[in-house]
Amino acid sequence: MMRAQNLTKTFNPGTPIENRALRGLDLDIPTGQFVTVIGSNGAGKSTFLNAISGDLAVDQGSIHIDDNDVTRQNAWQRAGLVARVFQDPMAGTCEGLSIEENLSLAWQRGARRGLRRAVTPALREEFRARLSTLKLGLESRLSDRMGLLSGGQRQAVSLLMASLKPSRILLLDEHTAALDPRTAAFVLELTDQIVADGKLTTLMVTHSMRQALDHGDRTVMLHQGRVVLDVSGEERARLDVPHLLAMFEQTRGETLDDDALLLG
Amino acid sequence: MSFISLMGALEIGLIFALVALGVLISFRILNFPDLTADGSFPLGGAVAATLIAGGHDPWMATGVAMVAGAGAGFVTGWLNVRLNILQLLASILVMIALYSINLRIMGAPNVPLIGEPTVFAPFLPADGDAGYWIQPLVLAVIVVIAKLALDAYFASQSGLAMRATGANPRMARSQGISTDRAVLTGMAISNALIALGGALYVQTQGGSDISMGIGTIVVGLAAVIIGETLIPSRSLWVATLAAVIGAILYRLFIALALTADFIGLQAQDLNLITAVLVGFALVLPAFKARLRKTLGGIGK
Ligand SMILES: Nc1ncnc2c1ncn2[C@@H]1O[C@H](COP(=O)(O)OP(=O)(O)O)[C@@H](O)[C@H]1O
Ligand SMILES: [Mg+2]
Repeated sequence: MMRAQNLTKTFNPGTPIENRALRGLDLDIPTGQFVTVIGSNGAGKSTFLNAISGDLAVDQGSIHIDDNDVTRQNAWQRAGLVARVFQDPMAGTCEGLSIEENLSLAWQRGARRGLRRAVTPALREEFRARLSTLKLGLESRLSDRMGLLSGGQRQAVSLLMASLKPSRILLLDEHTAALDPRTAAFVLELTDQIVADGKLTTLMVTHSMRQALDHGDRTVMLHQGRVVLDVSGEERARLDVPHLLAMFEQTRGETLDDDALLLG
Repeated sequence: MSFISLMGALEIGLIFALVALGVLISFRILNFPDLTADGSFPLGGAVAATLIAGGHDPWMATGVAMVAGAGAGFVTGWLNVRLNILQLLASILVMIALYSINLRIMGAPNVPLIGEPTVFAPFLPADGDAGYWIQPLVLAVIVVIAKLALDAYFASQSGLAMRATGANPRMARSQGISTDRAVLTGMAISNALIALGGALYVQTQGGSDISMGIGTIVVGLAAVIIGETLIPSRSLWVATLAAVIGAILYRLFIALALTADFIGLQAQDLNLITAVLVGFALVLPAFKARLRKTLGGIGK
């Protein structure tokens, strides 16, 4: 369960470039639900995910993960609860470290790190088994540097790393956006599989309305730092991309009207 | 060059191998440009010399010197991660502060150690002969131990967390690594090694001097860069080996340059030579790339 209440975040407050990225965002995600998030550029999607992960401290509001109030915790303190995959394939892994070292880092996510060996023969066997599920042949390249892999391979490994240890919420921020269509489809399929296998509570940002409706159990739309649309179940099943697009345009028009009113 | 001066160069090269290992940790692993070395190297020397001159056990004195160096590195790291002072600036502040602190510790611009016991004393023959090869040998053992200990540490969970912190801090935090703590630990280890170098240096040179730290960081960097150029590798145990070899080769090169009378170089030219060498090594990769491009252009 993840509960975000009345989140606000303003970048550069009190300056000409002030930017109210989150403006009282509320969202409740029950355990095991897979939520897709859409919204135009600058809607606040990444800011929202960064707030959940602790990369960003919010100005107001609270974030609960299960029974933990994590609002004031740093990213590294929350890491035991939150797993994530970044948009940039370079961002989620260390290119200078080997595949097995990257996996070892994820294997210890949120746990104490001591003086024990980071990669043991037993662990190596475990990693090999996990990597073989990707069907990319990476199980024979454990000691290869991460930097040698393609963007798609790195994103697949990032996903595997995020699911290596249990988490209470999985955050995916346009994690297929930097990939070519075929690789993106593969990584998306892998995402569905990993989420289903682990019954993971998931928040996936996507730039594609098609993806948003085809994956997960619920779709929310962010606009100007707030949730402006929230569909699930029957309603969502009936929804089609043109419908969603129409609703998208409508909310945009409404906010434009609001602004016009304010200006008037 | 005589055998004795060769051994002397080897001795200082081994001492600077410890400095190079420290520089490798800050500059390469943590990605933290740290100039504290110019203060923590003489700090190690000041602490060790003062304690030994005061009648304390040389090994104990060397250990305390390392702790002092760790403290200096910790403060530099702390200024950066807690007070958000730029890395380079934080280290310069500590380096400058250490100049005063080192003077306070020694109580004078220098502390002679003539006739005092050193960590080498138990290994030296009673008649004082043959010392010229025993000191480098003891130093070599210390350097090998330091290198292997570092290799083991960086293969551990904690050491891997430190490498991730330097390589990709955001990713490290998302894996639950306290990057602040990793930086503080790494900076402490780095400067403890550099202070160990300083403590051993005063015991081979017969005393400590307030100006002995000038240029330490540049020599350490030179060693790391020479090592990387000669033995390029992504693997960490090779990188530590390269730093050690780089330091030794660098000192041998300097000794050769100084003994070759026809060049006309003198000891005071050392820092200039080092700076030119490091500057050259820093622009070399870019120059090589440009040269390759130009040659490629001609080929077409
Ligand atoms: N670190 C930052 N500093 C200043 N402005 C930012 C920062 N991060 C995001 N913003 C701004 O906040 C708004 C929301 O950004 P973001 O959450 O990245 O949007 P998106 O929905 O496209 O992911 C945008 O207008 C963006 O320019
Ligand atoms: Mg975004």
